[in-house]
Amino acid sequence: MPRLPSRITVIAVGFGVAALAILARAAHVQLLQGGQWRQRAAAQQTVRVALPARRGTLYDRNGVALALSRETFGVGVAPREVEDVARTVSLLARAVGRPRAALAAGLRAGRVWIEWPGPYTWSTVAPLKHLRGVYLRRRLERFYPRPDLAPRIVGRLDARGRGGSGLERAFDSILAGRSGTAVMLRDSRGQTYPSPSRPAAEPVDGADVVLSLDAELQEIAEGALGAAVAGTRAAGGDVVILQPATGEVLALAGVRRAGPVGAGGSVVGDPFEPGSTAKVFTAAALLRVAKASPHDTVYAERGRYTLGGRVIEDVHGSGYLSLGDVIRLSSNIGIAKLGARLTPAEQYAALRDFGFGTPTGVDLAGEASGRLRAPRGWTRESPASLAMGYEFSVTPLQLAAAYAVFATGGLLLEPTLVREVRGGDGSVRWRHRVRPVRRVVTSSVASQLAHMLRGAVEEGTGRLAALGTYPLAGKTGTARRNIGGRYVAGHYTASFVGLFPAVDPQLVVVVKIDDPAGDYFGGATAAPVTRTILEAALATPTVTLDRSRLTRRWLPEETSAPQPQRRSEVPVVVAWPPRTGGSGGAGGLDPGEPAAPRPVPPVTGLDVREAARALHRSGFRVKVEGWGSAAATAPAAGAAPPPGSTVIVYGELGRAG
Amino acid sequence: MARRQRVLGWEARLLVILTAVLVVFGLASVYAASSALVERGRAVGATRVLDQLIGAAAGGLLLLLAARVNLDRVRQLAWPMVLLTGALLVVLVLPFSYAIAPRINGARRWLNVGVSIQVSEIAKLAVVVWTAMLCAKKGTEVRRMRRGLLPVLTVVAPLAALILLQPDLSTAVVIGFLALLILFASGARIGHFILLGMAALPLLWRQIEGAQYRVLRMTTFLDPGADRLRDAYQIDQSLIGIGAGQLFGVGFGQGQQKLGFLPYPYTDFIFSTIGEEWGFLGVLFLMMLFSAYVLVALRLAAAAGDPFRQYLGVGLAAMIGVDAFLHMGVGLAIVPTTGLVLPFVSYGRSGLAIALIATGFLVNLGTRRRPVTA
Repeated sequence: MPRLPSRITVIAVGFGVAALAILARAAHVQLLQGGQWRQRAAAQQTVRVALPARRGTLYDRNGVALALSRETFGVGVAPREVEDVARTVSLLARAVGRPRAALAAGLRAGRVWIEWPGPYTWSTVAPLKHLRGVYLRRRLERFYPRPDLAPRIVGRLDARGRGGSGLERAFDSILAGRSGTAVMLRDSRGQTYPSPSRPAAEPVDGADVVLSLDAELQEIAEGALGAAVAGTRAAGGDVVILQPATGEVLALAGVRRAGPVGAGGSVVGDPFEPGSTAKVFTAAALLRVAKASPHDTVYAERGRYTLGGRVIEDVHGSGYLSLGDVIRLSSNIGIAKLGARLTPAEQYAALRDFGFGTPTGVDLAGEASGRLRAPRGWTRESPASLAMGYEFSVTPLQLAAAYAVFATGGLLLEPTLVREVRGGDGSVRWRHRVRPVRRVVTSSVASQLAHMLRGAVEEGTGRLAALGTYPLAGKTGTARRNIGGRYVAGHYTASFVGLFPAVDPQLVVVVKIDDPAGDYFGGATAAPVTRTILEAALATPTVTLDRSRLTRRWLPEETSAPQPQRRSEVPVVVAWPPRTGGSGGAGGLDPGEPAAPRPVPPVTGLDVREAARALHRSGFRVKVEGWGSAAATAPAAGAAPPPGSTVIVYGELGRAG
Repeated sequence: MARRQRVLGWEARLLVILTAVLVVFGLASVYAASSALVERGRAVGATRVLDQLIGAAAGGLLLLLAARVNLDRVRQLAWPMVLLTGALLVVLVLPFSYAIAPRINGARRWLNVGVSIQVSEIAKLAVVVWTAMLCAKKGTEVRRMRRGLLPVLTVVAPLAALILLQPDLSTAVVIGFLALLILFASGARIGHFILLGMAALPLLWRQIEGAQYRVLRMTTFLDPGADRLRDAYQIDQSLIGIGAGQLFGVGFGQGQQKLGFLPYPYTDFIFSTIGEEWGFLGVLFLMMLFSAYVLVALRLAAAAGDPFRQYLGVGLAAMIGVDAFLHMGVGLAIVPTTGLVLPFVSYGRSGLAIALIATGFLVNLGTRRRPVTA
């Protein structure tokens, strides 16, 4: 059989060829095309899974959560995968709160998937975790514990879970955190498996933002405003409550009956002509350039005065009025006449310095700057108009910040909505520090103005705002509304700006009512709202008020406003050592005042604000750096720098930067 | 019976070593390909590899038996074997035998009698033994159509037809191919094969056309990537796995294609898993093992003492080689998708046992028996 070996050789050669062919093909696929196949493999086998970061919480200043992210769960059941039906039914019944019989019937009904979206908390669904056929779906849900509280300010998320409006949007980058990614292995059914060997970026939870808002005060403000708008059948209204010492906004409320509200809310997005509430700024302009004193008098023409062909009227005609009386009685004629003493540049500079025509820089999207024309755009009537609060527009927040100048001793502070940003671990990442924009008036001018404002409440147009208990300073405003470029009779903006308490104010309250029906005067509409708010605030123990300071109310009555004629007298404030009980005048010291050098008082250990006040009482300007209690001053205690020079107070916290 | 001393030639020893390496490699591969899977809601873990280990142990005993048995007895049992196989195959296609022959994955291939037996694997061995017996008996007469080709066809064709009815086209084709290969080795005329091929083509074509999914299988082969329907998808996934292995592979057990992308990752497509995890080096290693096995087996066959043993050797070498190469060819998309397992390596106790028996017979061929007396 000679053939056999040769045929076996043929077979062997055949197998050999086949083997080489297969190897060649394998080399082709694995070595030449390998990269492409590996890419395809990675594309189908792995999936980048975003690991959502927990969105930070928005707190009010007292730690009340306004918006927080909760981990919630939905429960899904694949009945066909369920093994221990009895146990599954009993645990499910407890978790989702359905009768067992119904659940058992549901599982037996032959459905592929049953889902209870929940939301359930972890403790509710935890027992279901290891049940076969039961799937828990984790979700991070934004939750607003007090949904009615400042919804426009707090804002809401958009459909993608990013900040869509309000502070949620303004602080989105802080709150959102950074999503992590995990490379998950994926099988052909799309099920994913964790892959320990592949790198994953851990999610970084968003930071918490502690707002300066006071939830209680906010609620009070919203309630009072809502009632007032409804009661006066007004088109809308705004309330701003500001802490003058820090620039922190405690409450922002805006109501509109109809029509759209600016993106940042009406409080910062909707400027209005302030009217009489702005007279005080002209008074400030006069005082700061020494073109008038509080006791300079002007003849008020008994209520009717023609200036450059334009008739100016006062509601209550008067004779001779001092500057203080002009403010107190809100005399248009008086302020127009006095304002004429100013050059346009001086008048303009004063209004600019009070922050008008410029956004305040508060962290709300859509802030309007208001309108303030430069003098070259003025008409002949403009000086008088501006003095009376027309021809320029302000936002309620700008107005509040500007009035706070009278409470801070002449400093314009940048208003803020944020006190602190805290990291996910609770560490403080950022803390608001008082950010002075500029000195607008000297502290003595500021106290003079504050005194005038107090007069307006106690004897003037703002009487309806007066509280029985504590003195209030403030100014009413009633402005004709400019509709379509024309001032329309019968449509007014009523406003009231209050400083509470009148001495050492802790709150600046701006109330503005748009187009109230009936009695349209600010004194009749907006001032009572202020009173309502303050009365409620005083009755609510949690509201941000330093009540110990309120009790000192009557002490400095006589000295609260150092009168110019007393300049040569020795001010009370030089009493040394300073009584921490605080009988010192609130006015501080005019830098120009001739006075002997005095030592820097020891303030270490006091709260920086207390320290700053003590230094103010000693006649120094104060620059605060940091937070908490005062750790040191520069110059140090005991040194005797020239009066009026600046003493830096270093807080124990947050000194960096 | 006289006492005899058994002496294993080097080929037989090498064959045992190759077999052992393949089985161990196979166990590892089955573990790698199956352990991470979840089937019917349960993790597979080591269950498949333990099953396979039992198969390997049983197959090892069968190997020893096959290595020691007198092959002349085996030749005498060729007819009973083939008839028994035929009977079992009939059981698989009977309409009332679903209790012991369930339909799994669309085909009735397993006989469930305590243990699950894949009858077509036995049929392969039976056909090899029977054809070798027949060709040895016919001697030079196989050159005559009526004496060689036709008798073989009359027995093998019905068996192949029964397997086709399971349906299992690939095994049916393989069985026919093995029989023809033995015929070829025994000296049948080349002209007969050409004639047969021409005659079979329309038959085969009609068969292929018969079942919808086979049509798809064929068109898939002709134009992969044309659609992602089942077989094209399978081929695509197999290539993704093998290709992703590149030179060194993604690492033992690290393959991802088995996680549902690749169908039957530890049986029909275990080569793809190996290619993914061991890379081209693994493929090369595997190919060297199988090539060595086939060549050594053929060498044993050529050196065997009588025609039956020669033909048996060729048949067994081809049985392992054809299955292995076709399996690899499927994984690399150079052969239409078939359901062939990789001998020694793929999960499946029947296949493993039959492959080990084949090794046993081949070792038997390479064992010289020196009678102590006479």
